[in-house]
Amino acid sequence: MSDYLPSDEIEAKDYQPRYRLLYILLGMTIVIFAIRLWYLQIVNGRELRQFSEQNSIRETKIPAPRGIVYDRNGEVLVENLPGFEVTLSPQYIANFDETAEALGIALNIPPASVLLAVQKSRRMNGPFRPVRIKENLTRDDIFNIEILKQDYTGVDIKETVLRSYPMKDNGAQFFGYVGEVSKRQLPLLNEKFAAKGLRFAQGDLIGTSGLEEVYDLDLRGRDGISVAQLDAHGREAFGDPMGLLGSMGGVTPASPGNNVILTIDKDVQEAGWRAFVDNERIGGAVAMKVNGEILAWVSAPSFDPNEFSTGIAPDTWRRLVNDPDKPLRNKPIQDHNAPGSTFKPFIAVTALAENVITPNTVVSCPGLLKFAGRPYHDTLRGGHGNLVVTQAIERSANIFFYKMGIALGIDKMFKYCDGFGIGRRTGVELSGERSGLMPSAEWKKNTIGEEWQPGENLSVAIGQGFVLTNPLQMTVGYNAIGTEGKVVKPFVVKRILTADNKLLKEFEPQVLRDLGDMKGEYHIKKEVFKTVKEGLRLVVNGERGTARGSRLKFIEMAGKTGTSQVMNFSADQIYSSCEARPKYQRHHGWFIGYAPAENPEIAIGVLAEHSCHGSSGAAPIAKAMVAAYVAKYHPEWLDRDVRKKKEAGQSTPAESSAPIIDGPIEGE
Amino acid sequence: MADYNSGFQIQERGFLKKLDWNFIIPVLTLHVIGIINLYSATHGMGAVQTDKLFLSQVFWLLKGWIVFLGVTLVDYQFFLRAAYAIYGLNLIALIAVKFFGKVALGAQRWLDLGFFSYQPSETMKLALVLVLARMLSQKSFNLGMGLKDLAFPLLILIGVPFLITAEQPDLGTAMMLLIIGSSLLFFVRIRRAILVALTAMTLMVATGAWFFGLRDYQKHRIYTFLDPARDPRGKGYNSIQSKIAVGSGQILGKGFRKGTQSQLEFLPERHTDFIFSVLSEEFGFLGSFFTISVFGLLFMSMIRIAAHARDKAGALLTVGVTATLFWHMFVNVSMVIGLLPIVGIPLPLLSYGGSNMLTTMAALGLVSSVSYRKYLF
Repeated sequence: MSDYLPSDEIEAKDYQPRYRLLYILLGMTIVIFAIRLWYLQIVNGRELRQFSEQNSIRETKIPAPRGIVYDRNGEVLVENLPGFEVTLSPQYIANFDETAEALGIALNIPPASVLLAVQKSRRMNGPFRPVRIKENLTRDDIFNIEILKQDYTGVDIKETVLRSYPMKDNGAQFFGYVGEVSKRQLPLLNEKFAAKGLRFAQGDLIGTSGLEEVYDLDLRGRDGISVAQLDAHGREAFGDPMGLLGSMGGVTPASPGNNVILTIDKDVQEAGWRAFVDNERIGGAVAMKVNGEILAWVSAPSFDPNEFSTGIAPDTWRRLVNDPDKPLRNKPIQDHNAPGSTFKPFIAVTALAENVITPNTVVSCPGLLKFAGRPYHDTLRGGHGNLVVTQAIERSANIFFYKMGIALGIDKMFKYCDGFGIGRRTGVELSGERSGLMPSAEWKKNTIGEEWQPGENLSVAIGQGFVLTNPLQMTVGYNAIGTEGKVVKPFVVKRILTADNKLLKEFEPQVLRDLGDMKGEYHIKKEVFKTVKEGLRLVVNGERGTARGSRLKFIEMAGKTGTSQVMNFSADQIYSSCEARPKYQRHHGWFIGYAPAENPEIAIGVLAEHSCHGSSGAAPIAKAMVAAYVAKYHPEWLDRDVRKKKEAGQSTPAESSAPIIDGPIEGE
Repeated sequence: MADYNSGFQIQERGFLKKLDWNFIIPVLTLHVIGIINLYSATHGMGAVQTDKLFLSQVFWLLKGWIVFLGVTLVDYQFFLRAAYAIYGLNLIALIAVKFFGKVALGAQRWLDLGFFSYQPSETMKLALVLVLARMLSQKSFNLGMGLKDLAFPLLILIGVPFLITAEQPDLGTAMMLLIIGSSLLFFVRIRRAILVALTAMTLMVATGAWFFGLRDYQKHRIYTFLDPARDPRGKGYNSIQSKIAVGSGQILGKGFRKGTQSQLEFLPERHTDFIFSVLSEEFGFLGSFFTISVFGLLFMSMIRIAAHARDKAGALLTVGVTATLFWHMFVNVSMVIGLLPIVGIPLPLLSYGGSNMLTTMAALGLVSSVSYRKYLF
């Protein structure tokens, strides 16, 4: 032991007083700590104890079931389905692979998808949010999982309230859907609803389109609160393990949202939808009672809003967005097109009201009209000969209305068509309604900066040119013709009830304008309406009516067909077969009408996109809806035959002494 | 008191008798407290792999005692002799972390050795104590250390590992190295003028570091220490939750495994850096004061061992180890009870962690070896 490191003995002895210093420093530290502990644990202990208890007790929200949506007869259209789902709480899982394997077998899904779901949730919601593995469990699933739960921790069956749309695709754009409030939306929503005292949290359900959106405040209930012990990650403890909750624990139940009774009739709705689906039609249709109550609202193709209730899959969403047929669009108020020939009745009313013609004025209608050096064709090469206005409507004679357009000019046409509601929002309580366009000379000058050209009067008179409208506007307009002047505000909600069905609000029909009011701005005479109505009756029921194929035995339907050109074709192409063209180059077919022809009860507007003809594409859909309406509300009519009675009174071309308007009316 | 001159007792004393039980009993007591506490901290609600954590710590503890006894039996002179080699290897490992280390919690601190994740900055503390004890014991500083004396130990021995660790960035450990090293230098005594100059310099460097050297999260820690309530869910969260946990223990505590703060996981890192708040919450003022006192007893016995050491190197080594453990305890407890900002410093002997347990037990083994060998003369 000789090779010890050298050591200075004297200096080591010098250390002795320094050890005393170390003892003192150590003692001081202990005293400081003791004082601090005494201060925290004894002086402030009670307060901090309380704090620690609040810390671990948190209120969790119990989502309120949304209100139920009924049709006008109390049939359920939108409801909530109690369901069961399997969730995994990742933090309780001992072995992921084994659990995934077992779950896969029990639920008949690939185990890899279980792991994928867990990974995805971990990325998006953090590691402690329970992961939804499968929803809408069958009874077998539940049985299997209950057994599996004995051996695997972290597997839970949870009760859920799912928004359910039993009609599925039918009316999806109308009813809308619900979705979870996203992180991005949250501040916007809270700002918007701050005045109403609503606060949203991430994950709250909210109506994001259609009725669900517009009536969200009524449909959403008040969420309940469950007071439970939670840990720092927001995980709910089982029971009350610490005995801390006492009287605070427990549940304040959620109060469900208000129920809504719609003006919709499920059967008419179903008939309209079936007519679209069975004929593979694209487009929108509306059926409305003459007082403005919407009976059916169809938009096709559609989507299943139930998929949104459970969080829509990204590829389903992508498919919907990229679909060229635009299933997410609410076509009755969002697809605007030129109304084509369905516009002619408004022009007829205008011409009669402005005394350009009388009901008996005979107008010659050749196959070709030259105006300002340009040829204007009729769809019938040879022309229609001499026609009165009812016949012109029945046969949809273009030349007749060209002449009306020339005679009237845009200002008069604008006045009346605007009165019928073309180019105006109808005010229906659904979001996303656009106004469309009824052009005027002033409008053109202001927006395009050009003078109105006389030739454009011809286009407008047959519903082309700048005119853009949608099925709902057209239905309201025809409804005004049918009711001889009443422009109503269409509406879809009749009543709002509390969850226990006490009446909260009732909505009354509203007439916005009465064009037939003799003291009003328009003061259109009854005779004018009667004449145009007769023309519309003939379209469906007359010998040469364009919608004769869609007439019904037991009810006289009135209406007008129309085609809206998707593309402009040269003169020789106009006569080429529409069906021969590629789908997206085919014309849109329109049919707007009402029934019964004399004293209408319902008005109907159908736009069948790319169906080539209003007569074959759109009118059958209207026919189906009228038939469904009659079958439900007037079953006694089903046995009658209106054709025999009316056949005798079929109109014949008037060979009267009335003045004949012939040739171009350039002087007007 | 000068026992180290009376030789020949080696034949009369057996192994157990030569162990300093005043020193070993506090260590054992702290281990028992630690194990009870760790059980509670790892068996909270919804904790995963709780038994794995708990059992692995029990194994670390057993391994720690083997290391302790092994080091006790080896003459500490051997380690002092090898001090530069140990220090050098450790430095290489520290540099290797920079290039091969794995990133955890935003810093590169660990070397993955396959069977074992090794944190060189942890053992660096012990290597630094060894190398400083060796270096300082070989010279006499009867008048206190001058500038020339300080240059090598302060700028090289302490400075180099300090900079590397601060770079990782692991400011807590870097500061710890500086404090441990300075403690030894202070103990050996520094001339007063230089002490004043050094203090002034340190203040300037600290100011400079604040504006240029510190990363944002490090600044945040200091900010939130000053006013933790301004962001209770964010940066100040740990500090507030820890204070609540400690305070809510009151006098007698909430009882074993009844601490809501820890059982419900409001406390972060409760089995490592915040183990003391678990203890305070569940065993109250009595439990926490008792634990602090046991630490006090341990350090007292270690200072006694230093005072009775056979030679200057043994004394300095013991003082160094005592400083290391003391400062860990001081910083950890201070941060838990809200006297210092939150830094990731574990509580020796109580916190979960294999690296720390082995290093601590090896350090205590060195002290034990010093104590064991006071009888050699």
